[in-house]
Amino acid sequence: MNLFFKIFLWFLAAVALMIGIVVFINWSVQTEPVMSRWRVSVHNQMNIYADTAGQIYDSEGEAGLKQFLDRIHDAETVSEVDLIDPEGRMWLGDGTTAGNYSDLVQRAFASNGVELDTSLPTTALAARPITFANGKSYALVVRWDRPRPVAIFGESQLRYLRLAGLLITALLVCYALAKYLSSPIGKIRQATQQLAEGNLTTRVADRIGRRHDELAKLARDFDLMAERIESLVTSQQRLLRDISHELRSPLARMNVALGIGKQKALPEVGQLFERIESEADRLNVMIGRLLTLSKLESGALDYEKEPVDLVEIVASVVDDADFEARPLGKNVNMRGDGSCIVDGNEPLLRSAVENVLRNAVRYTKEGSTVDVAVEHKDEKVTVSIEDHGGGVPEDELNNLFKPFYRIGEARERSTGGIGLGLAIADRAIAAHEGSISARNTRDGLKVVIGLRCASNGTRQKTSNQSNGGGARR
Amino acid sequence: MNRILIIDDDEELCELVAEYLTVEGFETKAVHDGAAGLDSALSGDYDMAVLDVMLPKMNGFDVLRSLRSSSRLPVLMLTARGDDMERIVGLEIGADDYLPKPFNPRELVARLRAILRRSETAEASDRASDKVVVEDLELARSARTVRLSGDEIPLTSVEFDLLTELAAEAGKVVRKDDLSERVLERKLSPYDRSLDMHISNLRKKLGPRPDGSERIKTIRSVGYIYTVL
Repeated sequence: MNLFFKIFLWFLAAVALMIGIVVFINWSVQTEPVMSRWRVSVHNQMNIYADTAGQIYDSEGEAGLKQFLDRIHDAETVSEVDLIDPEGRMWLGDGTTAGNYSDLVQRAFASNGVELDTSLPTTALAARPITFANGKSYALVVRWDRPRPVAIFGESQLRYLRLAGLLITALLVCYALAKYLSSPIGKIRQATQQLAEGNLTTRVADRIGRRHDELAKLARDFDLMAERIESLVTSQQRLLRDISHELRSPLARMNVALGIGKQKALPEVGQLFERIESEADRLNVMIGRLLTLSKLESGALDYEKEPVDLVEIVASVVDDADFEARPLGKNVNMRGDGSCIVDGNEPLLRSAVENVLRNAVRYTKEGSTVDVAVEHKDEKVTVSIEDHGGGVPEDELNNLFKPFYRIGEARERSTGGIGLGLAIADRAIAAHEGSISARNTRDGLKVVIGLRCASNGTRQKTSNQSNGGGARR
Repeated sequence: MNRILIIDDDEELCELVAEYLTVEGFETKAVHDGAAGLDSALSGDYDMAVLDVMLPKMNGFDVLRSLRSSSRLPVLMLTARGDDMERIVGLEIGADDYLPKPFNPRELVARLRAILRRSETAEASDRASDKVVVEDLELARSARTVRLSGDEIPLTSVEFDLLTELAAEAGKVVRKDDLSERVLERKLSPYDRSLDMHISNLRKKLGPRPDGSERIKTIRSVGYIYTVL
């Protein structure tokens, strides 16, 4: 469950518990003692009244008893005094509905003591049997006012308002507290995600506001960590770029010196020079790719996007790749025609497709065909490139797009790669907010590039001759 | 003997290139910063310039831009390998060709010769005075000028030659291999995008027809066609 709700509910529960305890304490220290004292005094009073009434009746008769009952009635807390016989009939008194008290009267006769009926809200009835000297028995029933304990929220209509006020205040305070505690955690989490996505400039302390608690310290620690990571990553990238850049100058000089050497060389060393030249070319290619990659990664490459036809780009790369593959006994076949306009940078898109395709050509078995398919559906266009080169171990698939990653070191080196092609493709596609992924097929690897078509859809073209694997031009 | 101006801040490289080019029969002079390079290029003493992008004082693009405002001196740009943007920008500003650095000196010579031959044939064909006219487009081979509805369009020598080839066969497909061999004077190699880039610049400079249709169309995996209505 969400941290905010957890905190909110916990505080709410705490507030509810607190109110419960206050009510309970109020009841136990105020209501209950008052009530029990009242019960005792009613008890005593009833005993005294009943005994006295018995004596008065015995000595003064009915008139004296009546007078005595009136006197009882005069007391402020008494509102009704009756004498009821065991059959429930009223003898003396001002109540007219003796039947209502029959239960109580029965109970009093049964226990021969004081009985209370506290079921009414503001008054209570007390009954006590009296036996006169002439042998007749009656129950003395007195209606007493009940003591009123002070209600927590008062008695008036305002008490609902007070209760509502209390609840709303509790809710608001709980909400504010929960928000106060959980919102910086949410912000730190957001920043962590951004950092994980590769946005190394993410900082969070400023977003937290003026706090000085552990959460603020956590945010500052996060910033320190992010700063450190950023400087490490950028210095690594810069190092890579600088080295590649610096390597170019001596290499350029070496190439020219080599040329001069060849101009002057005797025929027998010519072969050696060819070899040196091909190695220098390999270095050139590597450096070029390193530079491209480091520029893509650091975002230093500024490029313009314009509507370009992805199908056309793929088709021309396929042509080149097929031309290159044929002498090796392999070929490249393309499926899909028409056109698909993508908002992108042509050289970048081209190099992405080229890197993936040349990789596929390199690894596909002799005599097999690399299948390229361009499919567009609605807003999305996918370019899939499938080779028949045995694929890669399943757990290595995700590493394919990491720079310098090699599946099999010896194999890769003998085929002339340095493990940068797919990394370049990955960054180039990422720069177009597209996706690139690889998966194993029955006997090879399938790389799928996904891009978003430009909103203006497909452009009408007069020529969309798709030439897959056919004769080159 | 052709006089080549080398503008590059790597002095050792300049020396080596000069030595190589001398054996190949060129006369060379090297300068090491952009401002001096621009002055020498404008002096008229040279047939061609080899221009590096990264230069002190004034970078290669700025030199080229200033040069193009008053001179058609053929320029070959040395661009950083692995940087597609540099060569696109270079060709856009008006370089006749580019070569990624580090380069093979043999290739440098081949390209220098191709560009020089083109500018020489341009001078030689002065007398021919043959014009190519396709609708509103008018090419004067002798003067090496292009007019579109009467307005002159500034083109580099490669762009001019490409357009001439296409316009001379307007309405017909011209194969990429032929264009590469006739204009760039080299065999079309896989993954070489320079032809496409020159065509793309040409399209930008000419613009579409008044009705919005493209003048030069790509026939995928075959070549290009200068369309006629």
